[in-house]
Amino acid sequence: MSENVFQPKIVAFLCNWCSYAGADLAGTSRTQYPPNVRIIRVPCSGRVDPLFALKAFQDGADGVMVLGCHPGDCHYQQGNYFAQRRYALMHRLLEFTGVESERLFVDWISASEGKKFAQVVTDFTERVRALGPVPIKRQTPALQEVSA
Amino acid sequence: MNQDKPRIGVYVCMCGSNIAGTVDVPAVVEASKKLKNVVLVRYNKYTCAGPGQTGIKEDIKAHNLNRVVISACSPRMHERTWRTMLAEAGMNPYLLEVANLREQCSWAHPAGDMTTQKAIDLVAAAVERVSWHNPLFPRRVPVTKSALIVGAGIAGIQAALDIAKAGVPVYLVEREPSIGGHMAQLDKTFPTLDCSACILSPKMVDVGSHPNITLLSYSEIEKVEGFIGNFTVTVRRKARFVDETVCTSCDDCTAVCPVQVPAEFDLGLAERKAIYRPFAQAVPSAFRIDKRGPAPCKNTCPAGIHVQGYVALIGEGRFKEAYDLICEQMPFPGVCGRVCHHPCEAACRRGDKDQPVAIEFLKRFAADWVTAHPEATAPPPATAKPVERPLQGHRVAVVGAGPAGLTVARDVAQMGADCDVYESLPVAGGMMAVGIPRYRLPADALQREIETIISTPGVNLLLNTPVQLEGESKSGPSLASLQRDCNAVFIGVGAHQGMHMGVPGEDLKGVLHGAEYLRQLNLAQLGVKGLKTPNVGSHVVVIGGGNVAIDSAMTAKRLGADKVTVLYRRTRAEMPANDWEIEEAEEEAIEFHFLASPIEFRGKKGKLAAIHAQRMELGEPDESGRRRPVPIEGDTFELDADTVIVAIGQRLGQSLGEVEQSRRSWIETDPVTLQTSRPGVFAGGDAVSGPASVVEAGGAAHRAVESIRRYLLGEELAEGRSAEPADISDIDYYDPESWALTARQEMPRREVEARCGFNEVSLGFTEEQAIAEARRCLSCGICSECLACSNVCGAGAINHDAQDELIDIDVGAIIVASGFDPWDPTPMLEYGYGVYPEVYTGLEIERLSNASGPTSGEIVMRSGEKPKRVAILHCIGSRDEHYQPYCSRICCMYSLKLAHLIEEKTHAEVFNFYMDMRSFGKGYEEFYERVQREGVVFVRGRAAQVSPDGDRLIVRAEDTDLGRPVNLPVDMVILATAAVPSKGSAELAQKLHVTRDATGFFLEAHPKLRPVDSNTDGIFVAGACQAPRDIPDTVAHAGAAASQALGLLSQEFVEVVPTVAEVRTLHCVGCGLCVEVCPFSAPSLVESRGRMVAEINEALCKGCGLCVAGCRGKAISLRGFNDTQILTQLEALLQLSPATCA
Ligand code: FES
Repeated sequence: MSENVFQPKIVAFLCNWCSYAGADLAGTSRTQYPPNVRIIRVPCSGRVDPLFALKAFQDGADGVMVLGCHPGDCHYQQGNYFAQRRYALMHRLLEFTGVESERLFVDWISASEGKKFAQVVTDFTERVRALGPVPIKRQTPALQEVSA
Repeated sequence: MNQDKPRIGVYVCMCGSNIAGTVDVPAVVEASKKLKNVVLVRYNKYTCAGPGQTGIKEDIKAHNLNRVVISACSPRMHERTWRTMLAEAGMNPYLLEVANLREQCSWAHPAGDMTTQKAIDLVAAAVERVSWHNPLFPRRVPVTKSALIVGAGIAGIQAALDIAKAGVPVYLVEREPSIGGHMAQLDKTFPTLDCSACILSPKMVDVGSHPNITLLSYSEIEKVEGFIGNFTVTVRRKARFVDETVCTSCDDCTAVCPVQVPAEFDLGLAERKAIYRPFAQAVPSAFRIDKRGPAPCKNTCPAGIHVQGYVALIGEGRFKEAYDLICEQMPFPGVCGRVCHHPCEAACRRGDKDQPVAIEFLKRFAADWVTAHPEATAPPPATAKPVERPLQGHRVAVVGAGPAGLTVARDVAQMGADCDVYESLPVAGGMMAVGIPRYRLPADALQREIETIISTPGVNLLLNTPVQLEGESKSGPSLASLQRDCNAVFIGVGAHQGMHMGVPGEDLKGVLHGAEYLRQLNLAQLGVKGLKTPNVGSHVVVIGGGNVAIDSAMTAKRLGADKVTVLYRRTRAEMPANDWEIEEAEEEAIEFHFLASPIEFRGKKGKLAAIHAQRMELGEPDESGRRRPVPIEGDTFELDADTVIVAIGQRLGQSLGEVEQSRRSWIETDPVTLQTSRPGVFAGGDAVSGPASVVEAGGAAHRAVESIRRYLLGEELAEGRSAEPADISDIDYYDPESWALTARQEMPRREVEARCGFNEVSLGFTEEQAIAEARRCLSCGICSECLACSNVCGAGAINHDAQDELIDIDVGAIIVASGFDPWDPTPMLEYGYGVYPEVYTGLEIERLSNASGPTSGEIVMRSGEKPKRVAILHCIGSRDEHYQPYCSRICCMYSLKLAHLIEEKTHAEVFNFYMDMRSFGKGYEEFYERVQREGVVFVRGRAAQVSPDGDRLIVRAEDTDLGRPVNLPVDMVILATAAVPSKGSAELAQKLHVTRDATGFFLEAHPKLRPVDSNTDGIFVAGACQAPRDIPDTVAHAGAAASQALGLLSQEFVEVVPTVAEVRTLHCVGCGLCVEVCPFSAPSLVESRGRMVAEINEALCKGCGLCVAGCRGKAISLRGFNDTQILTQLEALLQLSPATCA
């Protein structure tokens, strides 16, 4: 990998039941994706407090992914619906704080979608790479304020 | 927070070369040593192996470790192992964190710095996170010692028997009416060729009789709640309409059922009745009625006549039974079959295809047929149900012997009551007798039906006996006296008074009113003494646009008038008369004068001479939606007339004293019960609704009879009843695949020239016409509710009103054995399935080959002839990225079996078109060789197309061994279709919260090591619902699932994860958001020190964290996944960045 290529830092929140298992399956099948992503296991996408995403950007993440079960498949019935609604609002808040809303990505990965997981991570990494470092490293007072 | 300062041991696993081959393990170890609170870092070749674990346990003791980080494979793999290990070392098992270095790092990325850096980050984050861990204590909950199995094919049957044998109660839920699944449909089984039914039936019988198995057939899972060891499953027991415990399987019912539909069990290659048993060896052996719901015709019929039922019976030539069935709801089939406005025909779904079934005429046909065949009119067969006479000892008075009154009288008398019917006229029948002209309804047709009613024991008809409705009467009965002498009263006096126009000259001689005119005419024609037919002269003008106006006009013509004109104030489009009546009038040269209304009747010497009329035009619509006629100022004209008949409506024309009446004098009743303002007095028919039809009067009578019954027995009148017909919008009515555009039978009618006097105009269907017409019925509800089965069922097992039932079952374990379905190859147009009749699926051939199948085991073409050459095409819909990417595993072998059977039974040449032959099991390869020896031809190459060629079919393929194209003419093509998850798997998976794989089969927890566990603890998968498999593998898999379930059920307690939510009461503002979002109702608001705060019921909490993320005051946290733990992990992950090491 060339010295000059920007390597974004990406944090992914994965629900234990579908997406985390999907990520495991990607590994088990040796499907490759960029190592930039760091995975945090949560019980359900509904556990992911929007604050986590803000905090991640504040700590220097260049992209944040929230991945859950497909609609209707949530192990807890409705967690992913709430996640979806929360993150619809979050995208707007992000723009307000000066972080491009594309840096936050929500999607559904089932336990059998190892390939899809790798694909989604690869695509997202490339998109974030194109965006460059998160502006907080430059200046985003609003973000500091919101997550304070 | 744990009091002690964290002392963390970090173990980095090399996992052989699985991790070490990609990640620089020593670098990870070195980096980890620098981390805060880390006391010790070691690496192992295989941490999970015995020595690895022993080493850690020793370290814990020797180094006084109080936290452990294991950096190895996915926690989904070994987290449990490590927890047990910690417990064995005396530590709380939750003071552990696993860093996923294998599945999510070494296996997914190339060797190199970035991957190693990621591993370092993951370990650092785990170390940070574990520092914040607290000891957690799982709850122990008792295990419910029973299991539930979903699906009773061979997998479900095997698992049920295995569990039952161990002494554990099993609930076996099957959505079909019988257990057995697809195995019951097969003929022989490969490779041993033993008969499928012979090996399956004994097991089915065992299931049916095993004391530990509760079989819930024809039932579906509605809802699943709870967790491992403690599930509550709600099962919908779908209405079978036959009581399983009573049915003796005698099969008498199918003989009398008139409805035939394609049999699912035979894949539509044979027919079955609406009441049926899928196959002879079915368990339970009870029959079932396939009933989609009340057919639209019946539901629309005001009287609720079993329309589809009598139509079906007529279609079978069972006319007397049809007549009896009509009579149950409608004692006037002959009348109703002539004069009904038949709303049923507007609702008839056949009308959407071509024309509605001629329901009304069929009813008349049944009545006429019975009249013409007195020898066949034996009383209906005695029903199995005992005749109930609950109203014995009660006396009911009916005022008015019209259709409503007479129906009430018959019905209450049949229930045992004595019923006096008071009629003021010298004839019974009400409007049927005195309102409808005889050319529409001949006197004898009516008279017969009235006589049947009044001959019902208990009915006592009193003609010429008016009842005074208001006050007391000195000379005869009054409403008050009837109320005193009887237990209930029904008023059905009709609307017999013609309305007046209120224009000058209305009292002239020669001005008649429709109702009175028709009454006089009819009474005279019925031979009532002292009454003459009216003399109408030669110019008659009828005023009005309803049916009475048309009837008045047409009778006037028959009475000798030369010229009859109907004067109507709007246009033809607004006429309320039935269309067909208007057409008849036009045929008979009745003239119509629209947009005119009389303003004066002018006479000479007290006798009418002319009508002075006003011309009108249409203005704005009125409240009825019709455009209101408005006079055109000054535009009047005169019309000569000898007689004018005013037919602009009727009224009740009587006052009822204390009984409330509407402004327009109709009797006010409760719309549901038809009770008037006086308790015990009910009313119905025209006197309540205004002028309506016979069938509506019948409907009102049924409503009133039910109220009278309840009233007399002291029951609640309205409970469970509604004034509206049932909502049928959700019913999935039957749509036969085969139906042909067929015109409705024409009613034979008397020629216009021959319509002299009062001869009936419509002549009625012939038998052939009636049968042909009845067979146009689409059988929308499937069961026609002809009730023939109820009548013959000696055991009394049939209940046509049965309802679905929901039951809750508590179990400790669930096994999913929902099986597979053969894939429907219709989308692969190149093979012409469903287009060319001689293209079959494998399962269809199984049915043909089966001795109990539609051809009694003959493999023949639809023509009945044996095929001379047959092609079997393998891999249809399997191994094909457009359809199913996977190999369906069973098709090669069943194709070989079918090839053998066809060869044996028909001596046809059999060609197999295959891609690869997969004969992998015990004895399979040998079977393949045997079939080859038998002369079956194998062509390597996927068939590309099937096309017709005269009587035969051409299979096109490439023989890849020889490298040349093949065009093979054959008689029969068999598609070896893929196996796909059974219909409804997706919904079932959602209800159970278990996962399916990309192809839709249920996902096992581990493909090799946990093949029967699902992702949800306590739920297991068995058989072909997990992946396509043959019978031996299915039985083995099911046995494995049973033993796993038994393993769980043999424990006294299960541990429930302690990672549940908790509330910091001090921070809680009592907003209740948690209560709203929780899908499991775990949080609730309780009072604490004078304010409301949230409280979590740990037994209900599943630990999803939805409330935690939603809590505004951050008062709720999730044990094991609290904000601090996640945020510190996050921070640690981001501290060292990939950029720094790039
Ligand atoms: S458990 Fe996966 S989104 Fe809820």
